[in-house]
Amino acid sequence: MSNKKILVCDDDEGILDMVSFILEDSGYDVIPERNSMNVYNLIVKERPDLLLLDLWMPVLSGDQVLKVLKSNPETSGLPVIVVSASTEGAKIAHDAGASDFLAKPFDIEQLVNRVQHMLAS
Amino acid sequence: MEILDNGEFSFSHDNLQRDFDLLRQALDASITGIIITDHQQPDNPIIYCNSAFEKLSGYTRKEIIGHNCRFLQREDRNQKERLILREAIQSGKDCVVEIRNYRKSGELFWNELYMSPIIDENGKVTHFIGVQNDVTRRKKAELELLHHQQVMEQKIEERTRVIRESEEYLASIYQTVRESLIVLDPNFGVLSVNEHFLKTFKVSLGETEGKKLYELGNGQWDIPPLKQLLEDVLPTNNPVENFEVEHDFPHIGKKLMLLNAHRIELEGKYKDRILIAIEDITERREIERRKDDFLSIASHELKTPLTTVKGYVQMMSRFMPENSSDKFKGVVEKTGVYIDRLNNLISELLDVSRIQTGNIELHKEQFDFDKMVHETVEGMQAANKDHQIIIKGKATNSFVGDESHLIQVLNNLLSNAIKYAPESREVLIYLSTVSNYLKVSVIDHGMGINIEDQKRIFERFYRVGDIQQHYPGMGIGLYICDQIIKNHEGTLWVESEKGRGSTFSFTLPLNERAGNE
Repeated sequence: MSNKKILVCDDDEGILDMVSFILEDSGYDVIPERNSMNVYNLIVKERPDLLLLDLWMPVLSGDQVLKVLKSNPETSGLPVIVVSASTEGAKIAHDAGASDFLAKPFDIEQLVNRVQHMLAS
Repeated sequence: MEILDNGEFSFSHDNLQRDFDLLRQALDASITGIIITDHQQPDNPIIYCNSAFEKLSGYTRKEIIGHNCRFLQREDRNQKERLILREAIQSGKDCVVEIRNYRKSGELFWNELYMSPIIDENGKVTHFIGVQNDVTRRKKAELELLHHQQVMEQKIEERTRVIRESEEYLASIYQTVRESLIVLDPNFGVLSVNEHFLKTFKVSLGETEGKKLYELGNGQWDIPPLKQLLEDVLPTNNPVENFEVEHDFPHIGKKLMLLNAHRIELEGKYKDRILIAIEDITERREIERRKDDFLSIASHELKTPLTTVKGYVQMMSRFMPENSSDKFKGVVEKTGVYIDRLNNLISELLDVSRIQTGNIELHKEQFDFDKMVHETVEGMQAANKDHQIIIKGKATNSFVGDESHLIQVLNNLLSNAIKYAPESREVLIYLSTVSNYLKVSVIDHGMGINIEDQKRIFERFYRVGDIQQHYPGMGIGLYICDQIIKNHEGTLWVESEKGRGSTFSFTLPLNERAGNE
């Protein structure tokens, strides 16, 4: 059985590296992406099982990405965990239709638990 | 026998002597001084005086007869009454004067002198009769009255000046205040406005005073919430304070105004007048918003690298070789603790700024309260292996409130329970419902809090004295918790005993719970 595939989009390279590191260590395949503009095409092309999405990103913000995904039948079913340091993050994520929200900074255990939980359901 | 007929007296020659004596006795019995002077002799000598005149003047008859009356004035010769007398004598008319005279003893008395001429059948003035009354007492009273009047007038003048000055003083304050002030009559007609009002709303005095408030500037003040305030709230004698009105004004654009209104209850002229003070807080609110925005961005930007650091430090723990020294394990563990502390400080910074400006916005939504508690504990447990956090009881699975704020409260209470109970291994959370409230208690067996400190720990920047040296922090955590719970109409309190541990509890009303669960 092949590993579950997770697309991670965050404009901060440090976080991208760290999250990839943790998730790969937990046995997932990770597609890291810094540019939020590429998310839709990547999903269509790579068919990931889960998307981890930052909110505050240049050009196209996380909630805008989410709205695009939700409005498109090809991507609307993909579970999305929004991961953000924004104080209003939880509300923005909820309003945009995210499946879950995780505040930065997080415990790696928490991250792994949420990912596991999301992929199991 | 000749009959003399002067109209009042009539007597015969037989009785002439007797009647004359009677008349003289009558004159002597009078308390009014009477003299007769002979106008046909030079210098008008006195030819008759009654005894009352002797008493009045203090001179005896022999000192009086033959003298001119002026001896009564002594050296006091510049009285204007003398002119009146002289003219009357020259023209043969009668006159009344009040003149200062002096008795023989030198004592001053006011003499009300009535002087009238006796004219013979040829129309020639032969004598003058002087009727004299001592009016010193009356005169004194009159003079005193006059004096009082003058003093009174002076006082009134003084008072008027003081009032005018204080009015000018108040008016200058009124005009200098950097807040728009407007005075209305009970029918909302504008009585006066200050300079700042004219400047702020870019109107002239002529366009304003005497007009109805609602008609000002094409009805720019016809603002429904303001109308309601003035017509419904003020008449109940409740002053209106800090009432926010956002309105698009014709000349000056959209403004946020803070209003205080007050109705004068004094009886009299000013009764029922309405004072309105208007502060334009558009700019201030904008600056506050920018400050919050700045802090939001700053905290977001600070948290981003912190997230990476925290992740890697936790990975270090995970990849810790089994044979690592306790020293090394300790270093890694402590690094984690201080990362959390840094994170809390960054979060609190923004919260305090918002609480200070009153800009905490509640995003109330229905959520599963018990689940929230369990998840928060799970997160806290992951970072603190030393303490075991035990949840007992149940509150509700459906609560309407700001979930992220309540998570913050719980995190704060839990991290305090752990931080201030380093020797203890267990923290208990007890969930329950009491009447129409849910109740959460966080119980630790730590160092406890003094009675004196218990009252103050919810104050901003308050830190218990001996705690300050050993436990870092800004002293705002509990302050924020208290504010958040208050914003949810609940209460937060502590019960504690020094050395025995503390129980922090809060209640939240369940009224807003969604009806059909």
